[in-house]
Amino acid sequence: MKIIKQWFESQNWKVQVFQKQCWKAYAQGKSGMLHAPTGSGKTYALWGGIVEEMSKHKTPPKGCHALWITPLRALGVEIQKATQKMLSDFNPELKVGLRTADTPQSQRNKLLKDPPFGLVSTPESVHVLLANKEHQKYFKQLKVIVVDEWHELLGSKRGVQVELALAYLRSIIPDLRVWGISATIGNKKLAREVLLGPTENFTVIEAKIKKKINVYSLLPKTMERFPWRGHLGIHLVPQVVKIIKKNKSTLIFTNTRAQCEIWFHRLLDIAPDLAGSIAMHHGSIDKKIRLWVEESLRNESLKVVVCTSSLDLGVDFSPVENCIQIGSPKGIGRFIQRAGRSGHQPKAGSSIYFLPTHAMELIESVALQNGIKTQQIEDRIPYLNCYDVLIQFLMTLAVGKGFDPKKIYPVVTSSFCFQTLNQERWQWILNFLIRGSQSLEQYDEYKKLILNENGFLKVANKTIALRHRLSMGTIVSGNDLKIRYRKGGYLGSIEEWFISKLNPGDTFAFSGKILELIRIQKMEVIVKKSKSKQAKIPAWMGGRMSFSAHLSDLLKKALFEDQDKKTREFQSLLPVFEQQKKESIVPRPDELLIERFKTREGIHTLFYPFEGYAIHEAMACLMAYRISLITPISFSMSFNDYGFELLSDQAFSPDAFLDNDLFTPEHLFDDLAKSINVSEMARRRFRDIAVISGLVFQGYPNKPIKSKHLQSGSQLFFEVFKDYEPDNLLYKQAIEETFDHGIEQGRIQLVFEELNQKTIVWKNCSQPTPFSFPLITDRIRSKLSSENVEDRIKKMYLQLDKTGR
Amino acid sequence: MTIEIHTHQFILHPTGGIYWKEKQSWLLADVHLGKVAHFRKNGIPVPRNAEGFFYQKMEELLPLFPIKRIIFLGDLFHSFQNNEWHLFEAWVKQQSFEITLITGNHDIIPNWKFEDLGILVKKSWEEGPFFFAHFPDQKTQQFVFCGHVHPGITLTGIGKQNMKLPCFYKSPKQLILPPFGVFTGLHIIKPKADEQIYVTTAKEVLEIKEKLP
Repeated sequence: MKIIKQWFESQNWKVQVFQKQCWKAYAQGKSGMLHAPTGSGKTYALWGGIVEEMSKHKTPPKGCHALWITPLRALGVEIQKATQKMLSDFNPELKVGLRTADTPQSQRNKLLKDPPFGLVSTPESVHVLLANKEHQKYFKQLKVIVVDEWHELLGSKRGVQVELALAYLRSIIPDLRVWGISATIGNKKLAREVLLGPTENFTVIEAKIKKKINVYSLLPKTMERFPWRGHLGIHLVPQVVKIIKKNKSTLIFTNTRAQCEIWFHRLLDIAPDLAGSIAMHHGSIDKKIRLWVEESLRNESLKVVVCTSSLDLGVDFSPVENCIQIGSPKGIGRFIQRAGRSGHQPKAGSSIYFLPTHAMELIESVALQNGIKTQQIEDRIPYLNCYDVLIQFLMTLAVGKGFDPKKIYPVVTSSFCFQTLNQERWQWILNFLIRGSQSLEQYDEYKKLILNENGFLKVANKTIALRHRLSMGTIVSGNDLKIRYRKGGYLGSIEEWFISKLNPGDTFAFSGKILELIRIQKMEVIVKKSKSKQAKIPAWMGGRMSFSAHLSDLLKKALFEDQDKKTREFQSLLPVFEQQKKESIVPRPDELLIERFKTREGIHTLFYPFEGYAIHEAMACLMAYRISLITPISFSMSFNDYGFELLSDQAFSPDAFLDNDLFTPEHLFDDLAKSINVSEMARRRFRDIAVISGLVFQGYPNKPIKSKHLQSGSQLFFEVFKDYEPDNLLYKQAIEETFDHGIEQGRIQLVFEELNQKTIVWKNCSQPTPFSFPLITDRIRSKLSSENVEDRIKKMYLQLDKTGR
Repeated sequence: MTIEIHTHQFILHPTGGIYWKEKQSWLLADVHLGKVAHFRKNGIPVPRNAEGFFYQKMEELLPLFPIKRIIFLGDLFHSFQNNEWHLFEAWVKQQSFEITLITGNHDIIPNWKFEDLGILVKKSWEEGPFFFAHFPDQKTQQFVFCGHVHPGITLTGIGKQNMKLPCFYKSPKQLILPPFGVFTGLHIIKPKADEQIYVTTAKEVLEIKEKLP
């Protein structure tokens, strides 16, 4: 380890134990998993070993030796810069290339022709490389793949994409080493198994760096003005301004892009002098602006950046002094990660302010602090049997070199995700690709993959290949339109459904500017700057997160046990609890509170199990389903991390409810499956599946392609599969995913068994309680009904167009 | 559901078709025949069983009333000619009534192909006080029957209930039919105060009278 140690000395850096361990294990030819926090020097722990091995060669080696996969494009930029600097110190001829969706075409071609020693990329871009005919030659020299921030990828479909790419590359490169870098998560062993696959030659290295994290709750001076609901938290803007001014630099984390826009504007309204030293960063903003913000953070020319999870990860954006989290971060792991963005100097602790956006989140603040103290970090649950990702991957191979189905089957099943994929389902998938789910006998014009004379499956024609190349990648966004000024200059992209609600002349906030819509042409939104102060804020889909199991346990503990402790948080909550107790109760651990009241909107029935969003979503559906079996009724449901609401136009009686033992854990999964079907919860899941598997093709804004007469929506596909092909695996996957991921089977069984032991407290209230407020005002809802359609229609009405256009 | 326009009787049927009593004619819009096959030919596996809907629906409609003629209000075929054409050809040859096709934007199969089957092909059609077209908003004083829009409506109710359904969309001088085809999608409209909406379920056609400004 001479060479790398010398280099460390030349940088005046001290080698840390985990770095030395990594170098050694790498030299022994091992694969491995490194658990290390952001900003600990983990990048060099891996590159050190790679450089050391390379330096044994007299002449710099040709070809791509190391592939570095990162989940975020922003992160890729960082890694590429840092490692290029390092490698140049050893040999100026060694190159590190960057290949992401942001890489210009000319650069991509260059990277293909002249493979760099190290290649930094994203899961999607790695798949794009596999779609190249020459990929085997390209990766011939590959020695190692490093997957950075694996905890972010595990538990997402992009993780499955990585699994498949690894399984495939392992099969063509015998001694390939695979390394993962991950923050601390609950299920470390599983994370390692999923990434490294079936190998014995591995090691697990833990960076023993404990950073102190200081959490402060931001509380309003008086609780009267503290909202019962709301997810914006803007009532505390003045306090945030104070913190910004006190510190050199601040990152403000918001949970949604809309919230990000709103905070940016409010900060400027209250503190106009921030103009010029404030910026915004989220995934919809054009990459040039994003890169500029990242650069400015690095050279300290910005004082405050309002961002979303787009800045969660990353090498050191060094001196961020402070972080502020607006609203619940929904998980301890994520909260620690965000806090970690501040105080990068070794040993300096991190500090983060938690700004609750409504009263109930104050309890969460207590729970988060307890979680950090006891290091209870959540699990990341990997996906199983993602047929959509598999179909996309097989298509990717088919547009390139083609594949031999007999040889690829064991490769696919060597991945964690598809370990249980049996021959029958594999044959179904092949048949889906070759004959569009038809039997051989029937005459059909279906064309996608064809078997060539060598027994390889290849795409049938160029149009199909092009369509696949344009729509690769698992991250699903809605139908996005690019925003640009009349005279040119891109600002970013926005979802079509938001823009479709606007008329020319309307103004909206985007990327920190107020823009006026001029027109929409060819998938582009043409805008000009507006002086108007009134602007609509685009809402972006997605961004719904559930509490992790750990956090909901901590939350219950905080509510039930810490309530009487005289913490600042609970002191502030006293007036809210007083109000809650006027007509209802604050439940004890052995009680399940149910509230019932009537408003103009209908009959509200609220349940408070405190088990987290995902469980409540399932429970709401199940309860609605079981009640709907007793009497024909229609429900609209909302859920959050504390409880759920069933809203109906007619009241079901508490007696009918209590006497019928509706909380029974018996037939639980059977009833759940039925309720998922009836409520069509799987519909939402199917949206992603349809895009990933290539059913829905929308063309590309700046690459117009003739897709005449091939436009359709995922909802249409959901309908036809439901009506004509219910055994289609993609349709089934939507239902299975709702189970596995949305619901967490094992946990819900436990929850129901526990519920059965609790005393049910049914409270009839004359008006909404503080606990109920966030739920009844939630606009995102699911539906379930057992009334017949005609009867429902007879109770409904039309909303007329008021504009008179 | 029967409505009267210029003293003529029109029966709105749950399948999305309209029966014109006086002339013993069916009006059908946006059938999009061959759409499934077109997708499949391009490597998008829409279930093939979804193709047979037209003949099933016709089997249901034809015995209901005496029939002299069918008027298709455009987009009879979704795209280029494919396998579906032969099925249609065979079906037409079995029928004894007249067929008129008003061409729509999707109808790119050459007219003579239809004319060889004895189908009358027109850009629009006038008959008494009525005007038949594919596109809405025709510059005519006659009452217009048309398609193209695939109208659908969102209904709302107490308890934050809402539903999306295909509908017949009638304004003072025009009636837009829902699509007769399956796998076609809907365009959600917002009606004005002087317009009528008749939604179709699988079983019934219902007029929505309750309106909120």
